[in-house]
Amino acid sequence: MADLAAVVGIGQTKYQTKRKDVSIAGLVREAAFNALTDAGLTWDDIDAVVVGKAPDMFEGGIMPELYLTDALGCNGKPMLRVHTAGSVGGSTAIVAASYVQSGMFKRVLTVTYEKQSESNAMWALSNAQPFSPHLNAGAGGFFAPIIREYMRRTNAPYDVGIKVATKDRLHGARNPLAHLQLPNITLKEVEDSPMLWEPLRFLESCPSSDGACALVISNEELAAQSPKKPAWIRGAAMRSEPTMYAGREQVNPQAGIDCAKDVYKQAGITDPRKDLDCAEIYVPFSWYEPMWLENLGFADVGQGWKLTMEGATSLDEKGDIPWNCSGGVLSSNPIGASGMIRFAEAARQVRGDAGDHQVDGAKLAMGHAYGGGAQFFAMWVVGSEKA
Amino acid sequence: MSASAEVLSQAFTLGYTYTRSTGPVVGRFLTALRDRKIVGIKGSDGKVIVPPMEWDPVTAEALSDFVDLPDTGVVKSWAWVKHPRGKHPLDKPFAWAQIQFDGADIPMIHCVDAGDESAMKAGMRVKVRWAEETIGSINDIACFDPA
Repeated sequence: MADLAAVVGIGQTKYQTKRKDVSIAGLVREAAFNALTDAGLTWDDIDAVVVGKAPDMFEGGIMPELYLTDALGCNGKPMLRVHTAGSVGGSTAIVAASYVQSGMFKRVLTVTYEKQSESNAMWALSNAQPFSPHLNAGAGGFFAPIIREYMRRTNAPYDVGIKVATKDRLHGARNPLAHLQLPNITLKEVEDSPMLWEPLRFLESCPSSDGACALVISNEELAAQSPKKPAWIRGAAMRSEPTMYAGREQVNPQAGIDCAKDVYKQAGITDPRKDLDCAEIYVPFSWYEPMWLENLGFADVGQGWKLTMEGATSLDEKGDIPWNCSGGVLSSNPIGASGMIRFAEAARQVRGDAGDHQVDGAKLAMGHAYGGGAQFFAMWVVGSEKA
Repeated sequence: MSASAEVLSQAFTLGYTYTRSTGPVVGRFLTALRDRKIVGIKGSDGKVIVPPMEWDPVTAEALSDFVDLPDTGVVKSWAWVKHPRGKHPLDKPFAWAQIQFDGADIPMIHCVDAGDESAMKAGMRVKVRWAEETIGSINDIACFDPA
């Protein structure tokens, strides 16, 4: 049986288009320092550091663990790095937590980041390879056909994505850290924005952001000494699927279904919509909200879009299961950090520390990340109570 | 087992463009070079480090105690390059050297134009030869001359 572990410190940077004032290390350092401050700790209190970032070619820097040791106070400490494409922010948090749950370390600092203004993520994620044509698709071009298949299967109305895009930006306007601040956004404005990858419009896509997110994760004994309320890790799971098999179910990936079942079982959740108070789910393109509502068991297959259209996932419409109260990936997307931001924002909710995007009385929340061609999944459930 | 297929291979190159920002500490060092000045930083143990580091190598605290230094120093160790290649900083034989600026405690690697290997020795004094045009780069120090 694993030991209990909890998030005792959360640090984020303000997400924005360009952070010209700092180096990449300076950006990462800022989030880490904010997390230590939030936890009432110093560098000396940390036993090990776990970093994660998007694939190396995105930023053109390899071995970030080597480059960042000075900035993250790793002198004399274990330091390691996690790779799982866009889900890396989530899996990095889970790896860090597992070191505490195993008893290996008592208190771990974990940090993820991306400085998209200095990166080339758009093209580096679909690089040319020998023996094949170069697709040059980018993420939107990759996911758009999968979304069209979802629309075909479910007969969902055309404007579900528009609703999600608007809702998440209204959520983001409540979060001062969110990159996009669009408090007056309208459905019409989203609908009128340029079509990028049918059916995804410009405003149905995530922005490119600079930012970093950090967590301090402690064991039960140290968490009890924490100045602020801990977010107890009630379950954590990761799953992967093969990349090259064209027969893979991509609209409703099996790895996502299995990962959710695993994490719900650990957390004692039988009905996620009812048992969870809110969720931070990786939705970089609008239509992934209804798709993941089904994949994660919040709705039956084919019914996810109805929750979205009914306002069930909206804070402003007082929905019963608000998704992405922070504004989500649609409001801020420093790719390497985006998964950890979901995990951190779930923890903020159960700590009662989410400011204007707080869900009243949230006790149980889920954080979710996916990556690659929707084939890497990382999820955790955090609670205000230990069990 | 069936007849084996030919195993193919193909070379390919991959390249992307990126940007890097220096941050305030390394940025200050580089902009000082543009003004033909050397700036170091004092660590928690009192040691002066050039180029300056943003975070203390011992305590990890942020550093901000900048120290102006002269453009002279001492060679701590060196290696002679007999046959310079195209990308080397000098087109004649030179030394890569660990050079400790006067007033600094930690050496920095740069090159020394000593003419001949026999002129190099640990403990020798050197002085910056500034580039004709300085732009805010480590190459604003063209090399060091024996002094």
